[in-house]
Amino acid sequence: MVTPSALVSPPPAEPSAMGVVLDLIEGIGRVPTGGTVTVELVHANRIAALDLVAAWCASSGNELVSVEGLTVTVLHGRSPDPLAGLDPAQLPGSRVWVYTNFDCNLACDYCCVRSSPKAERRAIGAERLQQIADEAAAAGVGELILTGGEPFLLNDLDALVNSCTDKLPTTLLTNGMLFRGARLERLRRMDRSRLTLQISVDSATPGIHDSHRGNGSWAKAVDGIRIAHDEGFRVKVAATLPADQMHELDPFHAFLDTIGISREDQVIRALAHRGVADSGIELTVDSLIPEVTITADGVYWHPVAADHDDQFVTRDIFPLADAIAEITRRFVAHRRAAERAAEWFPCA
Amino acid sequence: MTAPLVVGAVAYSPNVVPIWEGMRDYFAETSTPMDFVLFSNYGRQVDALISGSLDLAWNTNLAWVRTVAQTNGACRALASRDTDLIFTTVFVARAGSGFTSLESLRGRRLVLGSRDSAQAAILPVHFLREAGLSEGDVNLTRIDSDVGKHGDTGRSELDALRAVLDDRADAAAIGINTWQAIGRGELLPGAFESFWTSPEYSHCTFTAMPSLAIERSDPWVANLLAMDWQNPQHRSIMEMEGLQAWVPPRLEGYASLVAAIREQGITARW
Repeated sequence: MVTPSALVSPPPAEPSAMGVVLDLIEGIGRVPTGGTVTVELVHANRIAALDLVAAWCASSGNELVSVEGLTVTVLHGRSPDPLAGLDPAQLPGSRVWVYTNFDCNLACDYCCVRSSPKAERRAIGAERLQQIADEAAAAGVGELILTGGEPFLLNDLDALVNSCTDKLPTTLLTNGMLFRGARLERLRRMDRSRLTLQISVDSATPGIHDSHRGNGSWAKAVDGIRIAHDEGFRVKVAATLPADQMHELDPFHAFLDTIGISREDQVIRALAHRGVADSGIELTVDSLIPEVTITADGVYWHPVAADHDDQFVTRDIFPLADAIAEITRRFVAHRRAAERAAEWFPCA
Repeated sequence: MTAPLVVGAVAYSPNVVPIWEGMRDYFAETSTPMDFVLFSNYGRQVDALISGSLDLAWNTNLAWVRTVAQTNGACRALASRDTDLIFTTVFVARAGSGFTSLESLRGRRLVLGSRDSAQAAILPVHFLREAGLSEGDVNLTRIDSDVGKHGDTGRSELDALRAVLDDRADAAAIGINTWQAIGRGELLPGAFESFWTSPEYSHCTFTAMPSLAIERSDPWVANLLAMDWQNPQHRSIMEMEGLQAWVPPRLEGYASLVAAIREQGITARW
């Protein structure tokens, strides 16, 4: 005899999938908010069970963290938004870096992208830069930062910069040593109201600066700051310092005060172990808040590693909004993985 | 400085610690600070309340009714969650099983949760009795897990649902909170459906002995009721505790449990 309940039984996969949810509810109840539980899908139709687990997580306020084979990991509650704690200026895409070129008149011994007179130019080009500026403005980017290499080696730099300043406030990084002749004329054709120049000076006296960047480079850079000021540009100064010199900043700030650089425009950067630098802090995508960076080769995680495959994100620069979204997605994933690791290790 | 009120709660889940630490931190900013003590079961918590070790106990409905019984009605209920005033028991079965009412359970297999769970054991039997069904009319299976915690862990109800899925039972009686936790049958329409929902009854409430002066309890309750769902700091605590507002208790909502305890001969103390 067939019992009434047997006559109306639903397909077996569904109850099994619901059994996974029952396991999940019980497991979640045993860990505090922020803890994770794993359930196995061994007796369930995998696709049906995964769909149901995802739906249950969405409706119950828990988070499906990962699916590996038949093992599903769920977080009790929702992980905090990794972007919520960031300064708005640190949000991926708040500003976009562009490497205009990689060749340089200097061969600094710590250059993070191995620029030098012998480096291949790898120019971004006017057409692409125009599109970057257009799409950046449309995507809500607040600032463009142009760097190299030495941008003033480019004969069309004035047009390049103006295509950016027409759309967004722009900062142009330079060693400040080439403000003569036609290059000075190009500088003069740039928009003082929208462009900030950032010139590299590493020390208050020539010694340290010249030891990294070449004899006579300090005097030329300081002279470049004077010329830029005379031409009416706002000038920031950025110093790259190894860790052991970070405690000797007072004389350096005092020097920059004397040449008219406001304190808010005095930028001190730690030396990164990247490019040709043989020491410095280690920076990885796990440890580095991204700054969307574009080169002729594609999109990178951060300007400090724009010549390194480990921080290469995508060859597709456009649509720029998609590239920003991808970096944001990866950043959130890295942060959540780090939080899970931090949660796990103290228990080991 | 005012000595903190000492509140007892049962540690039915690891989240109990952050909940009560959050409550303690909230009250630390008020005129009525509190501290808390965790118990492994409601029996010991009620003992501590009656003996004077606690000022307040965060009691289940069964713990409240038992405290009333042990104190001859001298204890006071001070406040509940909004969700405690509209608690229900839901009878569920595999979708398409054909149950239409409690009467249709006659001769069928019903699985109940822990014997000290008001929502999943004591009240379901009472509702069956009200529908004219004695225990002999329905084939009852009891799943006694986490006894002492009055069904707070939900484990026995999940086990009851597993019994239905595994065809060890035709239907299960569970609390509305567990029914909501599994998505009310909407997540996977082919698995479960509810066929009877009980009238609303009251669940947890803060319980005080007469020795706690009104001058101490009233300001504490006022501060409790002032917790605001719109305040993110309050909200994180309220979300974990499962409420959107603290409210005055609804004592008439315990009548069905009082009747059930009388009918089933459940003692005032285990």
